[in-house]
Amino acid sequence: MQKITRLSSLIALSIVLGILESFIPLFSIPGIKLGLANIVIVTTLYIYGLKEAVLVSILRILFISVLRTGFGLNLYFSLGGSILSLFGMFIAKKINFSIIGVSIIGSTCHILGQITIAIILLNTNLTYYLPLMIVLSIITGTIIGYISQENIKFLKNK
Amino acid sequence: MNKKDVILIITLLVIACVLLLFINQEKGNTANVYYDNNLVLKINLNKNNDYDVKGYNGNIHINVKDSYLSVTDEISPYHICQKKKIHNVGESLICLPNKVVIKIENNELDAIVGD
Repeated sequence: MQKITRLSSLIALSIVLGILESFIPLFSIPGIKLGLANIVIVTTLYIYGLKEAVLVSILRILFISVLRTGFGLNLYFSLGGSILSLFGMFIAKKINFSIIGVSIIGSTCHILGQITIAIILLNTNLTYYLPLMIVLSIITGTIIGYISQENIKFLKNK
Repeated sequence: MNKKDVILIITLLVIACVLLLFINQEKGNTANVYYDNNLVLKINLNKNNDYDVKGYNGNIHINVKDSYLSVTDEISPYHICQKKKIHNVGESLICLPNKVVIKIENNELDAIVGD
């Protein structure tokens, strides 16, 4: 019971972080996000495990669809990106990358997943976005990874 | 951060650079406009002109000047597809709420309707 409550709080927290970061004007290119909500996802992955991280991710996306964006193409982009990201992070964690490394792999997989789904669904060649996106993924992944790392250290010491 | 992370970052940067080298930036002469995945208009980029295309929420206004294409008016919450001008083969503008996609290619010039 306590776990359900905790996971619900995590989902709520990730939703709020997602909304908060939309107030930070970051990069003029649409679709670039800092991904603050991923701090929650990475933390959940390390504190609980993959199943819980998947649960938090997917429920978060569904809630945001209900609350804000609707059930159009954006939903598929988010789902595709998140699923690939979780998969990548799970493997990265198994191969013993550091938390920051896992986060970088997470952010890179996320954007790769989104671009792939966009290419498939919109039938357009978006691969020229990739070089810039990869660089941005490294930067945001490092930032999110560092924050997650400190967060996980703090939580594990409690 | 450990050594593995540094290797990861360097590898990703190398991949990004390699991709950059493979991207062909050539000027396009045609723009294909798709509504709901159906081709509705072919635009000749060599002629400066304005076009109106029916979108899901209303008309979209397209401007072509000096071989650059931009969307200058459309009904949507964030106007994301109005923020860029496109020019090279492969570039595209996606007006998601209006279900309009504009892609640039190079075609035989005879086949284009542009006036």
